[in-house]
Amino acid sequence: MTDLKLAVKEMIIQRLKLEDMTAGDIEDQAALFGEGLGLDSIDALELVLGVEQTFGVKIEDEAAGLKAFRNVEALTAFIQEHKPA
Amino acid sequence: MNLVLGQLPHRFPFLFVDRVLEREPSLRVVAEKLVSMSEPYLQGHLPGRPLVPGVLMLEMLAQTAAFLHEDSLGEVPVFLAQVLDARFKAPAYPGDRLRLEVRTDAAFGSLQRIDGTVTCEGRVLCTAKLLLKMGAPMELAPKVRRAGGEP
Repeated sequence: MTDLKLAVKEMIIQRLKLEDMTAGDIEDQAALFGEGLGLDSIDALELVLGVEQTFGVKIEDEAAGLKAFRNVEALTAFIQEHKPA
Repeated sequence: MNLVLGQLPHRFPFLFVDRVLEREPSLRVVAEKLVSMSEPYLQGHLPGRPLVPGVLMLEMLAQTAAFLHEDSLGEVPVFLAQVLDARFKAPAYPGDRLRLEVRTDAAFGSLQRIDGTVTCEGRVLCTAKLLLKMGAPMELAPKVRRAGGEP
């Protein structure tokens, strides 16, 4: 697991208080919302704030969120692509 | 009052905003609710000792938050999605003029997190952090596995 991917998983666990989970429990390809990790749509705001405060990457709107929050792999790629130099 | 009725779909006996005093769209709203002995819920809460239920103060703040939106919500209500924190410091009684103040703390898409305060003559009665979903019906995905609770 890359360092960034691990950091993304740890951020998700911490921000959404998934205290009974570890980074190893979250599969890279598993959907974050609905099936998979099973997050509620109302968790989106907390995730947006987590990405912004932890990685300095802003998710501007729902369209960007839809793309970034597909799964951990997509979110890691999104952060990699947009993070400040 | 026309502003209130035009903005909120709520009606008697569940309209809890009487007047909007200050309004900075997307940022901050101050509204007012006058509590009268005629409020139907005071008959049962509590007999001989009427006081406004704390949960209704949260509802008042949620309804106030609807005025953060510039456009009328019409038939589409504001959904209270999450109560992140709520403190009830003192009760509200019939005769009280409640000042309802909400400020946007964070927002994304149709989700808005607000800090709300209910005061009466300068005394803080209730503070709360609420998550609201505005302008679209709530479509929740299956519940999440969280610590200390669900199977």
